[in-house]
Amino acid sequence: MFSISSEAKVGLFVFVALILLAYMSFRVGEYGFGLKKGYFVNVVFDNVTGLDKDASVTIAGVEIGKVERISLTDGKASVTLRITPDVKLEKDVRASIKSHGILGDKFVEIEPGTKESGYIEVDGQIKRVEQQADIDKLLRELGTIANDVMAVTASLKKVVGGDEGVANLRAIIQNTRELSENLNTVVKQNDEKFSIMVSSLKNAATEMEKTFAALSDITSKINRGEGTVGRLVKDEAVFEKLDRTVASLEEISDKINEGRGTIGRLINDEETVENLNASLKTIDKSMEGINRYISKAEQFRTFLSYRGEYLFDNSDAKSYLNLKIQPKEDKFYILGIVADPRGSRTTYDRTTNGTTTHTEEWDRDQLLFNAEIGKRYKDIVLRGGLLESTGGVGIDYYAFDDKLRLTFEAFDFDTDRDPHLKIYADYRLFKHLYLTAGWDDFVSDEGNESPFVGFSIKFEDEDLKYLLTSTPIPK
Amino acid sequence: MENIEEMGKILLLFISIISWMVRPPLKLRLIFKQMEFVGVKSIYVVVLTGTFTGMVLALQSYYGFRMFSAESLVGSTVALSMTRELGPVLTALMVTARAGSAMAAELGTMRVTEQIDALSVMATNPVKHLIVPRVIASVIMLPILTIVSDFMGIIGGYFVGVMVLHINKGIFVKNITRYVDLGDLYNGLTKAAVFGLILSLVGCYKGFNTTGGAEGVGKATTEAVVLASITILISDYFLTAIMF
Repeated sequence: MFSISSEAKVGLFVFVALILLAYMSFRVGEYGFGLKKGYFVNVVFDNVTGLDKDASVTIAGVEIGKVERISLTDGKASVTLRITPDVKLEKDVRASIKSHGILGDKFVEIEPGTKESGYIEVDGQIKRVEQQADIDKLLRELGTIANDVMAVTASLKKVVGGDEGVANLRAIIQNTRELSENLNTVVKQNDEKFSIMVSSLKNAATEMEKTFAALSDITSKINRGEGTVGRLVKDEAVFEKLDRTVASLEEISDKINEGRGTIGRLINDEETVENLNASLKTIDKSMEGINRYISKAEQFRTFLSYRGEYLFDNSDAKSYLNLKIQPKEDKFYILGIVADPRGSRTTYDRTTNGTTTHTEEWDRDQLLFNAEIGKRYKDIVLRGGLLESTGGVGIDYYAFDDKLRLTFEAFDFDTDRDPHLKIYADYRLFKHLYLTAGWDDFVSDEGNESPFVGFSIKFEDEDLKYLLTSTPIPK
Repeated sequence: MENIEEMGKILLLFISIISWMVRPPLKLRLIFKQMEFVGVKSIYVVVLTGTFTGMVLALQSYYGFRMFSAESLVGSTVALSMTRELGPVLTALMVTARAGSAMAAELGTMRVTEQIDALSVMATNPVKHLIVPRVIASVIMLPILTIVSDFMGIIGGYFVGVMVLHINKGIFVKNITRYVDLGDLYNGLTKAAVFGLILSLVGCYKGFNTTGGAEGVGKATTEAVVLASITILISDYFLTAIMF
């Protein structure tokens, strides 16, 4: 019978135990459980604190792979993921590091992308990465924002501070309130009518075009007639040619009559009116649907814009700084300040001994204010309020996917001079940069009319929006 | 007073063991025989206790950690407890019960049947012949059994954690290697060696000083197990306090 000696038994046992000890001590490499399958995908994170090799890679909480390798590349963490072969990642997937619970085992979460973008090939790269929220960084940024706000309030204090400023502000606010109340009433009363009006206007515009064409035809004929009249006046034989002139005038008025007849027919025709009504109702319904859809989405947006205009005739620049608050897609408020080289005008009327003296004072350092409310109907924006510290209205027309904006503004309605009219076009060059050109105050009776060119910068400000919506007002 | 006297006697026995240990010739054959008895024959019981201790540890700590979603720490908890504490202590207690008692019974029987006196008459020192091999074998084999116990405990914990409770295996293993140092492992083994010394010393002392025939042998065996177990647990506290 084969028997093992004590020494052999002890030796074997010690040998096995030492192998176990060595294994536990050095434990290098993988635990070889399960076959390794799958393909590699790389992703670069700024920071992978807490993420370990073999951590899960999940989509919607379902494990689809493991972290294979973590290495340092150019000061960033390059993470290699091993993805199960039967899972294909789209090119626009988004990777982020998440953690389970508070003690936080980190894992890589992948948000699926769209099929249209195609699939990442083996050893490909996930390009869209969501970085881990860094509390320190967040606090630092908040600090910076607080400083900015402090600077703004300080400068605001300088502008508004003092009794005069308060009085001015109060007056402005009072005016604005009245204006907005009035406008509110108007808008409330006519909200539905507006949309109908716009559609009607559109139809009217096509009709007008026809009418204008006819009119220009008529005018050219009148022009020729005028020539005749002129010749008639100069000619000695007036009476002979007068007959012919009268005849052609008759012809013209006949044509006008014909034109009127067409419009009349159109308006009086019952069928047309019914058709128009029906289509308006459809438009109304679809507008309602759109409104509902849009109001579901996050709509509140704020824009900051700067606008500089170089006025040729004044050889000076005019600057605007506007904050546009847009609570709904089709509704907005604009608050802004304007630095006009001509400054702010104050008029005084003094009556002494029955004679009234009228004096005007220009304060070049005075800033002008914009406070407008506006509403957008498709491509047309109607707005009104304070424009350069005076009451006024404006209309914008957008074209080419909002790339081009044509604007007409009328304000400073004063009894003793012409209103300030301004017309200009903005064209978007790049994402936030616009070129602008136009004609300022072109009906001025004080020689203020001037063509201008300039540029404007406009961008959406998320921080400001955040402040406006969530920050409580400190007391 | 009796306890203190006993402590002194054990210490004296320890000194004489040391002095006999360094005096050649050492009987390797006797040592190997004891190593087989203490070590190899204890494998089965040590593997069983180690595995199930690891498994129950995983299960218990899982319920605790689940409360704050830290299930993945189960692996490191099992590994740390096994290497630092439970591996050495449980192995020592099991070996005490198996081999320590056997030592006391064997030596006690030899004492009461006057075989030890016979050895002395044959000019063979009973301490060198009977006790030194047992002590050496225990001090060597206890750490080795502890290695097995540690390993089986972690395997048991892994089985329960990963296969039964579905903790992510990568993170389970990663947490073990992250939180367990080599120091934990070696300190545990040092403890095991000390426990080996204690159990063999107490077992041999009790057996060597047996009086009162068959009844005395039974008494000596019981006392050896109780005293060795208590001493192991008490010294475990102080060893831990010194080491970690």
